[in-house]
Amino acid sequence: MDFNLFLQSFLNGLSIGSVYAIFALGYTLVFSILGVINFAHGAIFTLGAYFTYTLSGGVFGFNGLLANGKLPFQLPFFLALILGSILAGLASIVLERLAFKPLRVRGADPLLTLVSSLGAAVVIVNIIQYLVGAEIYTFPDNIYGNIPAAINFGTATRPIMIRTVQVIIFAVCAVMVALLTYLVNGTKIGKALQAVAEDETTASLLGINPEQFIKITFFVSGLLAGLAGTLVGSSVSIAGPYFGISFGLKGLGVIVLGGLGSIPGAVIGGLLLGLAEAFVPPDFSGYREAISFAILFIMLLVRPEGLLGRKRIQKV
Amino acid sequence: MIKRRQFIPLFLSGITFSLVVACNSSQPSGTNITPSPNSTTTTSQNANGIPIGVVLAQTSNAALLGQEQVIGVKIAEQYFNQQGGVNGTPIKIVLQDGGGDEQSAINAFNTLITQEKVVAILGPSLSQQAFAANPIAERAKVPVLGPSNTAKGIPEIGDYIARVSAPVAVVAPNAVQAALKLNPNLKKVAVFYAQNDAFSKSETETFQQTVKDLNLDLVTVQKFQTTDTDFQNQATAAINLNPDLIVISGLAADGGNLIKQLRQLGYQGLIIGGNGLNTSNILPVCQKECDGVIIAQAYSPEIDNPINKTFRETYVTENKKEPPQFTAQAFAGIQVFVEALKAVDQKNKISSLSLEQLREQLNQAILSGKYQTVLGNLSFTPEGEIIQEQFYVAQIKMDETGENGKFTYLK
Repeated sequence: MDFNLFLQSFLNGLSIGSVYAIFALGYTLVFSILGVINFAHGAIFTLGAYFTYTLSGGVFGFNGLLANGKLPFQLPFFLALILGSILAGLASIVLERLAFKPLRVRGADPLLTLVSSLGAAVVIVNIIQYLVGAEIYTFPDNIYGNIPAAINFGTATRPIMIRTVQVIIFAVCAVMVALLTYLVNGTKIGKALQAVAEDETTASLLGINPEQFIKITFFVSGLLAGLAGTLVGSSVSIAGPYFGISFGLKGLGVIVLGGLGSIPGAVIGGLLLGLAEAFVPPDFSGYREAISFAILFIMLLVRPEGLLGRKRIQKV
Repeated sequence: MIKRRQFIPLFLSGITFSLVVACNSSQPSGTNITPSPNSTTTTSQNANGIPIGVVLAQTSNAALLGQEQVIGVKIAEQYFNQQGGVNGTPIKIVLQDGGGDEQSAINAFNTLITQEKVVAILGPSLSQQAFAANPIAERAKVPVLGPSNTAKGIPEIGDYIARVSAPVAVVAPNAVQAALKLNPNLKKVAVFYAQNDAFSKSETETFQQTVKDLNLDLVTVQKFQTTDTDFQNQATAAINLNPDLIVISGLAADGGNLIKQLRQLGYQGLIIGGNGLNTSNILPVCQKECDGVIIAQAYSPEIDNPINKTFRETYVTENKKEPPQFTAQAFAGIQVFVEALKAVDQKNKISSLSLEQLREQLNQAILSGKYQTVLGNLSFTPEGEIIQEQFYVAQIKMDETGENGKFTYLK
């Protein structure tokens, strides 16, 4: 392979992979604490993008209950992004109260929680569509200031172009993983979260309120989903209420590949999945998902705990 | 916490569920009943009017298209009922969500045929849904008009299947001809298409054949999925081959994103969008990068006849923009039903016919009629293929802000 082409594919892979990684961060956080898959993560991701769009002065289309509606005020994009992400975090807490807690207190099988979260996802998506229709919403071009549309990582004669918004997503993803790793491993909150993850009953005997920390987990997960939804929406538009759902399957693949519950694993898994897709030859580009999931399948057979996952010792 | 060993079956269940959500976003409940052709012999009109079934995508990623069509149907229902309906009897639109997948369309068809006892059906939105659902109507002998099914082979599904959407093989080549007029020196062509969409696959065959027929050089064919959002790989692979023209067959969200990313990655040549991109819904997606995109049209708001004038005025008043092709085609579909029903009624009073007789006579009337519609004058071949007099080519023009744009018609 020509070096230029290799470099272009490599950077393409990192660019695509950073989107998967940023989506998977919140996904893996809930799994690491509760050991359940939150299928509504994609819906919260979508919700976050819609919140930011609304707060930054976006106008709704002509379908849905809020046809042609907009807020009477308009926030600058970065403020809207922060507030939108916080609202997504709060929505995630509501989701936990409605779809997870009732089953958890009854000691239900995790499979039921998965189905419950899936149901919640479908409800959220349909509510969004009922309110604002199925239209595609797009953030203005200049939300990040007057930056060039793409950055050339090659030369003038042999350009290697990557869209600037993808570079921003990659950078935010790197910052988020660092912050999240610090939160989980370097703070009291993180240690309490780990204690809850290890054993809720023991954690409560040590004076930790598990319910409180489960709420915090869902808030942070929702916040990350909202942030990711807006960033990805700024790159590829908010392509209707089902926008986040399509990332759900890949996000799940990413956290399995990286190692269930591992935060750096989610990022590595995302980037690897992106790279696997980027190196699929153009003639087979339509099958890139099949190829990348085939790699995931093999990975599951060879190393079921994922790249950075730890083997659990079954105690008897 | 669940054990890792428990996770694998959980994961597989998860994938199954996820696929259900991703591929089948909103299915109406109910079982898949195949009605017996002779199952209904009740009266064909009720107190609220003559029931005409409409199956359009109101959910899923085809909802953008479906929502435009629903507007056309509603304008038509109001307009024709104000005009006296079918010789004094109003029509009643019975709308079912067809979603974006085959099973939803099948369920909707079954409901309309067996429960709602409609006299005919307009729909579904997508060609691949039509291939799955239309045979049900054919077996039940219910006339169907496809409002936006342009893939090859739709009227051939059966005697009761026709369409008001001109086939892609007739419409699409006009766009390539228009591109050659704009840049007579263009030689290298790159083609992109959504491989998971029957219509896009059918359309790209026509585009690729047209490119070959015009002795242009087809430098690459790139595939994607309608659910894709990132096209970095395919776009850079194509741009590296320096094409003068890129032809895209996909839907609004994916197609709009592809256009945006092609432009952002430095592509400066001409772009042709297929019928799936023929909606103002792509404008907010590609924004200023939409500028210059060429799209062949089966409708122009400029068509000079009284019914289009009324339709255009009504649409512009309600929506503050020009009507798109899909809305016009849906309106035309209802118009064909109404005029054919009038023709049947003039021969034999509709109220005297059984539902089976009405459906059969309506089908004959649809195929033998000539109609002055918002799409211009049209009629049908005996197989149900539309015969439309004129086609158009539009080019998207965006304003300086990139927020507003319109389809300007090329001469």
